[in-house]
Amino acid sequence: MNQSEGTLIRRLVCDRHPEETIRDENPWLSVLKKEAASWISDMPLPNRKMEAWRYTPIEFINKTAFSLDAEEAPFEALDLIDIEELLIPGSESSDRIVFVNGRYAPGLSGLKTGNGITLHTLAGDSKLPSGFKRQIGHADLSGRFFFTLNNALMSDGAVIHVNQQGGERRRLELLHITVGMPDPVIHNPRHLVVLERNTSLELVERYTSLGKSTYFNNAVIDIHLSEESDLLHTRLQEESELAQHLGHLTVKLEAHSNYRQVSLASGAAWSRTEAQIIFNGEHAHAELDGLILAGSKQLNDVHLEVLHEVPNCTSREHFKGLLSSNGKIVFDGRILVARDAQKTEAALNNENLMLSRSAEVDTKPQLEIFADDVKCSHGATVGELDPGMLFYLRSRGIPKAQAERMLCTAFANEVVSCISETPIRDHAKRMVLQHLASEGETG
Amino acid sequence: MLTIENLKAAAGDKEILKGLDLQVNAGEVHAIMGPNGSGKSSLAHILAGREGLDVTGGSVSFNGNDLLELEPEERAAVGVFLAFQYPVELPGVNNTHFLKEALNAQRRNRGEEELDSVAFMKLVREKMELVSMKPELLKRQVNAGFSGGEKKRNEILQLTLFEPRLAILDETDSGLDIDALRTVSKGVNAVRSEERAIILVTHYQRLLDYIEPDFVHVLADGRIIRSGDKTLALELEKKGYNWITDSEAA
Repeated sequence: MNQSEGTLIRRLVCDRHPEETIRDENPWLSVLKKEAASWISDMPLPNRKMEAWRYTPIEFINKTAFSLDAEEAPFEALDLIDIEELLIPGSESSDRIVFVNGRYAPGLSGLKTGNGITLHTLAGDSKLPSGFKRQIGHADLSGRFFFTLNNALMSDGAVIHVNQQGGERRRLELLHITVGMPDPVIHNPRHLVVLERNTSLELVERYTSLGKSTYFNNAVIDIHLSEESDLLHTRLQEESELAQHLGHLTVKLEAHSNYRQVSLASGAAWSRTEAQIIFNGEHAHAELDGLILAGSKQLNDVHLEVLHEVPNCTSREHFKGLLSSNGKIVFDGRILVARDAQKTEAALNNENLMLSRSAEVDTKPQLEIFADDVKCSHGATVGELDPGMLFYLRSRGIPKAQAERMLCTAFANEVVSCISETPIRDHAKRMVLQHLASEGETG
Repeated sequence: MLTIENLKAAAGDKEILKGLDLQVNAGEVHAIMGPNGSGKSSLAHILAGREGLDVTGGSVSFNGNDLLELEPEERAAVGVFLAFQYPVELPGVNNTHFLKEALNAQRRNRGEEELDSVAFMKLVREKMELVSMKPELLKRQVNAGFSGGEKKRNEILQLTLFEPRLAILDETDSGLDIDALRTVSKGVNAVRSEERAIILVTHYQRLLDYIEPDFVHVLADGRIIRSGDKTLALELEKKGYNWITDSEAA
């Protein structure tokens, strides 16, 4: 390995650690960060020789001198009126937790009281219950570089605790806004979502930006679903087109819990999702539908692991990739069924539609089964627009470009239509249309 | 209206049309019959502009347009409509949205005003009644999960909505039961007028009991080898195609 690789990012970590103590920082957080920092100094940077990074170049990490801009947070000057354009029409008044440049922005956030959700933040809350501290601290730092990097640099995050049973399903938007800075910055938000027994939540996790700028959002979100809890999770990645985004997600499901995810990733020049779904209790169910868009100069990577550790759980994962121009998609999905996980039902599927011969897709769906009484399937397809469908539309008078857009929208709608809440679904539809329109312009 | 002269076409190395002539005037209904593989469906698709079939000679003129020079969507706008033998399923595309976009695209292309949703829905409901189509098929995805009969009705619904100058029906009768055949024919007869022409590509005389043709042509081996009035179809039904193809060879 080239010794100079990762110098910039390692310097960023080690400049702050181990000796520096950050003003007002919680001591337990400092301990954690120091430990992560020591891992980072020894860890090889992800490279093409590693299977998990074989198709995903990360040159940007060597080329860009990221800095942490945590000291002078720009959100203090921000008012609700400034972010109005970023809000989803029709959901302006919903409960919202806003992070600006990786920092909690209380002035932009709003939670109705009595909604059964308790919010703590990593930076501001010295009284964080020790259970949550343990959940955040109890992480394996040895393997995944960017996860460990997040641990070393994390400065803030939300701890969302749902502890009130019954009543209507609570809705909450976790909105990340990056305000453009003159120099490249890195944000490391670190969130924890805990649903207590028999509770439910609808969580919209969004990443967006004010103005175009270069930044790296290295986000981690851990989700713990207690018995019989139910989470509807919509993830919308709409970062600036110059940005890098890494979303690291872990979902732990206890018995009889239910996890439903619909994700749409359309932004960023470089985007990667690292998701791990872990079945910890029996009769739990997870369903994930994802739409991955990759247009001009975009790389969009999804690494997904579904770990069926216990019997009688079911999961379904369906990810669709839409590629145009010289866009690139990497899909690596793996279902693992442990030896004791009998009666597992799991299906993993990745479909890709290529609108351009210059696009590239690397797809690798995998099944590893150690139990003998399971129903599992996996598959991947890569195709172009169907000429028969195109001709049918055109023979009805619909111009070629419009016909292509209609078929792409139809392809995307299979995922988008899974979003149950109308304003969010309409917003997702607009994301797809905007993506297709901008791709139409660039050819 | 439509003048086809010495039309030759091939799919790859295979010659499909070998010098076909046909004159269709406004107000006329032409039936094109012929054995399997004679080029009937290919002719229909060439007129609609399908890619993958090479026109190697001849000309097609339609109301003053060189039809072969037009894109498929432009052909639709000047009034050519093909009812598909196998209507294409479009999963994820809503049928109402499709019908409205198609109608308005044609209108835009002709410089006519687009229909708004209210006007469109009124029109489409009226036409659906004519072809006895269940209203819920509007909310479904285009042809996806439709039965064979529903697909054909959806084609005829488009015919009555778009009101083309020239309608080409490619084996629209195939796979239909008697009731469906009657409704489909009713739809076709409803658009029949002095300004419009219809080409029926069919295997069976049965359809012609419902839609009475002015002319019947026999297409064999890429050419029209016999033309006549509706009695030709009756004779074909009785004697089979060999009666003509053999006498041609002789």
